[in-house]
Amino acid sequence: MQSESDKDITDYYKHLSLFWTDIVHLMSSKPQALTSIGPMRAFAANSKKVSTELIEINEDLMEFNKHLTEYYKQLADTWVDAQKKVNLKAPEIPQDVEQMEAVKRIWIDIFDNDFTELFDSGKFGENYGKLVSKELELTKHWNNIVNVILQSVNLPSKEEIDEVYKEIHSLKKRVAKLELELKKKGMKRNAK
Amino acid sequence: MQSEPKVDPKIIEEILKFSKNIIEAPKLVSAPDEISLEVTPHDIVQQMDKTRLLHYKPITEKQHKTPLLISYALINRFHILDIQPEKSWVRNLLQQGFDIYMLDWGTPTSMDKYLDFDDYVNGYLDTYVEYIKNESSTEKISLQGYCTGATIATTYASLHPESVKNYIATAPVIDGWRDTTVISNLAKHMDVDKMVEIIGNMPPEFMYYAFSVLKPFEQGIEKYVNFFKNIENKKFVDSFLRVEKWLGDTPPIPGELFKQWIKDIYQDNLLIQNKMHIEGQLVNLKNIDMPIFTQVAVGDHLVSPECSMPLHYAVGSEDKTLRMYPTGHVGMIASSLSQKKVLPELGQWLAERS
Repeated sequence: MQSESDKDITDYYKHLSLFWTDIVHLMSSKPQALTSIGPMRAFAANSKKVSTELIEINEDLMEFNKHLTEYYKQLADTWVDAQKKVNLKAPEIPQDVEQMEAVKRIWIDIFDNDFTELFDSGKFGENYGKLVSKELELTKHWNNIVNVILQSVNLPSKEEIDEVYKEIHSLKKRVAKLELELKKKGMKRNAK
Repeated sequence: MQSEPKVDPKIIEEILKFSKNIIEAPKLVSAPDEISLEVTPHDIVQQMDKTRLLHYKPITEKQHKTPLLISYALINRFHILDIQPEKSWVRNLLQQGFDIYMLDWGTPTSMDKYLDFDDYVNGYLDTYVEYIKNESSTEKISLQGYCTGATIATTYASLHPESVKNYIATAPVIDGWRDTTVISNLAKHMDVDKMVEIIGNMPPEFMYYAFSVLKPFEQGIEKYVNFFKNIENKKFVDSFLRVEKWLGDTPPIPGELFKQWIKDIYQDNLLIQNKMHIEGQLVNLKNIDMPIFTQVAVGDHLVSPECSMPLHYAVGSEDKTLRMYPTGHVGMIASSLSQKKVLPELGQWLAERS
């Protein structure tokens, strides 16, 4: 979690950034309106969105790093514990091929058991779920930034493309149902 | 003075031989890209969106009347069931006189993110079943589902029992709460709504991650050491590369289908409780009243036996058989054990009912 003072600083910079992007936008939008179909006009109109996304990326990045650190800590702790178990079970340096094979087998078995136990645990599942969730939020911010750029050159955003995909999917389903009904009617007609 | 530790010269010899094998490897073996995984001759008899229906050419004069459609899993591709002639599930069944069809789910793209259980069960699978019924002039067919393909086949058998004469569930994913695997642990903690909303389909990279945490040292280190150690053993190398190529080829899973699968099977466990719905239709396992043969692998670390076995007890069939084999998830379908034990038992069961 972010401490109060960290949050104050973040909020301050968020406000500062929004203030200046708003002011610059208001000051510059009138002359830019003359070229209202150009890419810079569209980009300038949405540039505030980019600033907001960048600030929020920083907030999410902190949370992401926290879960990523915990992820590697869990792996490292498990590694250390497993290595201790291997050292106890095979304290001697292997002297021949057979011993080397035996030590390798012990090492793999202990490491596989300990790591499987970790991956099966609630604490791993919970942290990993949160890590992936934060990574997805970072992806979402990145998508939003790219959407601003796409819109500045009159290209559809991800949401708009998704809408088209959804419509195609729904149309395909309707066509399939209609085809099935027609087929059934045809079969009834043939039976008569 | 301290005596120097003695090193067995054989260790040095082993290390030198191993290094030599690594250098020689590219000269001795094909690159995975150069290997074709479609082994047994077949025709593509139907296509729908990105899915395909394969019909294998018969290799016996006499054939059983009822055709068998195999619904492969959503993870990786169907090639493991026909990975090489001597371990081929498909070829073995052809040799036993069965008429075999295979459903290839294809490779969904971003455009397919809205495909859901209804599309897979009442759309693709049902269309192909109807096609096979027409082609073979039968009213019912035999259906086999493997892994997640068995989840789809199970829901199909429940919603369309009139089309299924015999049902074979091989390592089916059924009871998510009883599943003791790492996959189930990851699935239970996944924010699947957010994943589908933001990235659409379930990406193959995520599946690779999930596989890499299953026996990470055995699978990540030991098997590659063995590969280079045995680089001169053509049979071993060919088999290794085929399985590796198959492992590395997993398509994305359509977002909506993945979402319902994770929620209804792993998080809320609706299927086994007869509470799962597909496009408003209730999936009641008691509707599965045809002969059913459930195959479970005791050492399965992808779908634990506890996750598969409840199907046997939940169905309405009176003619039901449960078989457990001392092997793993892939060993059950592509190994010498599957050729010697699993397939002969399945063939006998199916022949008596076909």
